[in-house]
Amino acid sequence: MKRVVISLLGLMLFAGLTATASEAGKLLIWADDSRAPILVEVAKDFTAVYGVEAIVQEVSFGDIKSQLATAGPAGEGPDILLGPHDWLGELILNGLLEPIVLTPAQVEEFDPVAVDAFSWGNLLYGVPYATENVALIRNTDLVPEVPATFEELLTIAKGLTDLEAGKYGFLIQQPDPYHTFALYSAGGGYIFGEDEDGVLNPCDIGLDNEGSIAGATILDQMVKDGIEIAGAGYGEVVGAFSAGNLAMMIGGPWTLADVKAGGINYAVSAIPPIGGNAPGVFVGVQGFMVSAFSENKVLANLLIKDFLISSDVMLGLYIQGDRPPAYLPALGFLAGNPDIQGFAAAAATAIPMPKIPEMTSVWNAWSDALELIVNQEQDPTTAMQDAANEIRALLGCD
Amino acid sequence: MYDKHTFFGSVWRHGIILVLIVFAVFPVLWVVSGSFNATNNIQMQKLIPPHATLEHYKSLFTTPQYPFGIWLWNSLKIALITSLLTVVLAGLGAYAFSRFRFKGRRVGLLGLLLIQMFPQVLAMVAIFLLVLALGDIFPWAGLNTHTGLVLVYLGGAMGFNTWLMKGYFDTIPRSLEESAKVDGATPFQAFTKIILPLARPILATIFVLTFISTYSEVILATILLRSSDTFTLPVGMALLISDQYGRRWGMFAAGSILAMIPFLVIFLLSQRSLVSGLTRGAVKE
Amino acid sequence: MGPPDGRPLYPYMIWRYVAKHTAKIILLGTLVGASIYVSVFLLTKGMYIPAVMPLIGSGFISYIFLSQKRYPLRWLVPGVIFLTVMVVYPIGYTFVSSFTNVGTGHMLSKEQTIRQLLDRCYVPDAAVVYSYVAFANDDGNLALLLESESATILYVDGNAEELSLPDARLIDEDGDGEIDRYEDYARLSFMQLAQRVSEIEDFRIEYGGTTISLVNLHEFRTRSPLYAYDEEAETMTDQQTGVAYTAVDGIFTSESGEEIYPGYKVWTGLSNYLDLLRNPAVSRPFGKVFLWTIVFATLTLLLNFALGLATAVLLNDPFLRFRTLYRVLMIIPYALPAFVTILIWRGLLNTGFGTINQVLVSLFGAGARVPWLSNPWLAKLSVLLVNLWLGYPYMMIISLGALQSIPSTLYEAARVDGASWWQRFSRITLPLLLIPLGPLLVGSFAFNFNNFTLIWLLTEGRPPMLGTLTPAGETDILISYTYRLAFEGQRGNQLGLAAAVAVVIFIIIATISAINFRMTGALEELSKNV
Repeated sequence: MKRVVISLLGLMLFAGLTATASEAGKLLIWADDSRAPILVEVAKDFTAVYGVEAIVQEVSFGDIKSQLATAGPAGEGPDILLGPHDWLGELILNGLLEPIVLTPAQVEEFDPVAVDAFSWGNLLYGVPYATENVALIRNTDLVPEVPATFEELLTIAKGLTDLEAGKYGFLIQQPDPYHTFALYSAGGGYIFGEDEDGVLNPCDIGLDNEGSIAGATILDQMVKDGIEIAGAGYGEVVGAFSAGNLAMMIGGPWTLADVKAGGINYAVSAIPPIGGNAPGVFVGVQGFMVSAFSENKVLANLLIKDFLISSDVMLGLYIQGDRPPAYLPALGFLAGNPDIQGFAAAAATAIPMPKIPEMTSVWNAWSDALELIVNQEQDPTTAMQDAANEIRALLGCD
Repeated sequence: MYDKHTFFGSVWRHGIILVLIVFAVFPVLWVVSGSFNATNNIQMQKLIPPHATLEHYKSLFTTPQYPFGIWLWNSLKIALITSLLTVVLAGLGAYAFSRFRFKGRRVGLLGLLLIQMFPQVLAMVAIFLLVLALGDIFPWAGLNTHTGLVLVYLGGAMGFNTWLMKGYFDTIPRSLEESAKVDGATPFQAFTKIILPLARPILATIFVLTFISTYSEVILATILLRSSDTFTLPVGMALLISDQYGRRWGMFAAGSILAMIPFLVIFLLSQRSLVSGLTRGAVKE
Repeated sequence: MGPPDGRPLYPYMIWRYVAKHTAKIILLGTLVGASIYVSVFLLTKGMYIPAVMPLIGSGFISYIFLSQKRYPLRWLVPGVIFLTVMVVYPIGYTFVSSFTNVGTGHMLSKEQTIRQLLDRCYVPDAAVVYSYVAFANDDGNLALLLESESATILYVDGNAEELSLPDARLIDEDGDGEIDRYEDYARLSFMQLAQRVSEIEDFRIEYGGTTISLVNLHEFRTRSPLYAYDEEAETMTDQQTGVAYTAVDGIFTSESGEEIYPGYKVWTGLSNYLDLLRNPAVSRPFGKVFLWTIVFATLTLLLNFALGLATAVLLNDPFLRFRTLYRVLMIIPYALPAFVTILIWRGLLNTGFGTINQVLVSLFGAGARVPWLSNPWLAKLSVLLVNLWLGYPYMMIISLGALQSIPSTLYEAARVDGASWWQRFSRITLPLLLIPLGPLLVGSFAFNFNNFTLIWLLTEGRPPMLGTLTPAGETDILISYTYRLAFEGQRGNQLGLAAAVAVVIFIIIATISAINFRMTGALEELSKNV
């Protein structure tokens, strides 16, 4: 009997639940809590001009992507959503995004790296509004001058570290490949190699090449020297810095709110050269995207192009989130801002984060390797080799 | 079962309990501390925060983005209704399993147990689509409604609850109901007038257990509730720490402490029913 | 039982039956009526199979309520309805999904995918741009007037008609050069247009061998569909390049291996299960992960029950003062949502910064820093410790409840016989507790076997297992590890694979539990004699 019921229910699944029309004539935007307030204002302006209701729904950052996959095709999804560019691969493969068409003049108003980040196969799938990357953030009371080289930085850090007193010189949050990438890239490490057309080759993995292993060895040495402490995650690092107990950290614009709240005098600058080479960092781009299952594509595009692409809104988003705008006119307003300059300097040799779905396996294996290194459970060379081989095995490369 | 305490007996009993209480409570002290801490940080604290502030508690009730009061009310409402209905559903089932012998009884009991063991992680997608369709037919019970959520929670009403109650009913001698039958009562009357009053401890137990599990449930609620004013407490609180790098631990901690209070009150109130005990004097053995 | 004054038997008996059960018949009638309504509703939506379910359900329920033999089942009906719809159905859904390739790249149904692909357009060289004016009549139907440099088109009721101006049906009422009416259709204001533009964007106007559709608020444009679909051959042909893509395993693929996204979900039979068995990422660490899962669930059960029961016994003591206060304090771990407290514990156990280590360091010096979550054995210990903290209140509550069911007469009799406290506990309390609690303990074992939340929030399965070339961790249990593979494996989420994992885990745990149930089932018979 149970089997019969199950197979009947199974057929029910396949008979397919027809998608109910999402509200045509009303716009639904999904945003997480840091962007929602600005968007509510924009939505009101939009409604005033067009008489069409626009609602901003606050959805947890982690939930937007996963809920879109189910809600979108079922007709319960949003028209517009906000998210980082590295979601692009998975969203496009699932047929969840609609390309956005901007005129060449409009495209020129944006940071080319940002536009590139939101492009996939010659089409633009999102309008970028903020770029973010990590840089060196230091407490200017403790470290008045920028260290000239990374080696000098470590020496200064060692001098300032006093575990008994709870004082730290320099910390990189772990296990976090994103924040640690600078160490790898300086020596020539990379994740996926590119072929001639700039297309990423998922089977060309550079995490166990010389440069990567050199970077991992630097981290290992930091632990042995007592600079890097096991268990330092985002909360611990930023907490210590905001309390004045940490002299230098690698962090992004999102940390500044807490740092300012702690009343710390700080400065943002590029990460000093490691072994003579300028380290590259990952750039993440945040943007507005249109759902492929939206019933209001024309209106959605209208909202984005006519209301969101404006210096006022872009600056508002900056003020809310501290992330440098990708919209060049807005960025121009902030030209004198030292924080923006600092992050921009760090991003001089930036690489957009890869957006292919294969990246999840990479982050996991790499994080595991970092965890082992920081806890001194494995030497850096073996750790990175194991990680790279694990990724190769998972992706089915030979 | 218990003897009166000697003085030494009292001492070691209270001593052990105090040790256990320290074990139980000290992590929560950190939450309390975090709720008064001005920097938004839950790690790396001293127990007494250096800049103590009531800011977080105030923000909970004054930030329109985070209508804590509404969330609290929603959670209480849903948890109370679900718990009451669960006690009813489970009780009816438990009585049948305990008192009647019918075809499919053993299989049914075993089945109830085994069904609860299926990993429900993928069920989220199924339930989402199900409630979506339900909302088409009965708009008041679809997505983003509390009715829909309660209906989904009632799916778990039978199961272990039925087992627990059945075990308790089994220990009540049938002679009580038999004498009622002689007096012309239907099984349902015997159930409501005789068994239920005697079963108050187990009813209270199930009520409390269901209350806390419904009250803290976060996964299904996140999927089915879509707008800020329908959120339950856990869903709202998860929102506070959802931003990758902008977690509001202070408000989260304050919200957690406040959230704890209703459950403690319910538990306290249920204590009288919990130990009302059985009166066996109704029938001469 | 005959009629009092000798009237015919049968009609009287039917009359008595109906009168006695009127309420029941009315309710059942309403139920059947409602289920017919739902069925018809589902039929109109084209869901033929689901439309049958309410009828079957209500028929079954009516049978139960009308048949005297099935009386006991009536008690079960409400609970079982909810159980079937909310628990059994998702299990069925999961089960069916395990035979498909649903996941990243294959989330949509075939119709949705084809619809999306057919909607994709490219701009042909001879593209024409049209400005337009929209009108609506009293019934709300739309009419559009499109104008390009070369042509004027009227679109009404799905028909495109070329017009030559001036046309008598187009009326300029106020003489400002702008058309205000078309027959009985009035021109839409700006705001009215904005509110209806979403309908207009769905129009596909066929004219002169081309398709015209809306590109933004002000313009229509001729656009050619990018793909042509051949239903029989199941191919999509790219109209720009001429390349044909055939449907293979739910993705349109060209001969050279190029794929068009999105794909759609298809039956894949047992391939998910075979994948699990053959995948070295699963098989290599399987033994270790499985062993830890069993050990974890068993130790958790024993520890939690021991502490919970001990606490319950202590706090059940009528001679203990403040016991209500103590109970409320002891229940506190249970009063906070698990995801809050697990994160707190994670912070407390942090090697470099957590409070526990800071206390140890201040007492014993820097060397006392304990790697709670990074050493394989200590991590396992930490997991058990946190689970103990989280789980003993539940055991305490159910023990308190079950303790009430033991008649005090038994204790009195034992006391008369001179039994000691321990003898009373082990010979009376414990066995009589295990009768109602036995199945719950089995259930707790199963719950912890699948306790994804704890592992995920506390350690994410870490510390990593060395040298396995798989993402398995030392604290991973079966479900956390396999779900991680499914959701964070090669290409995004593989829901079909995750479903297969769920089924396999269910088979394992159900088998273990059924065996355990046999053992506690034997105890059930004891209760009949109480």
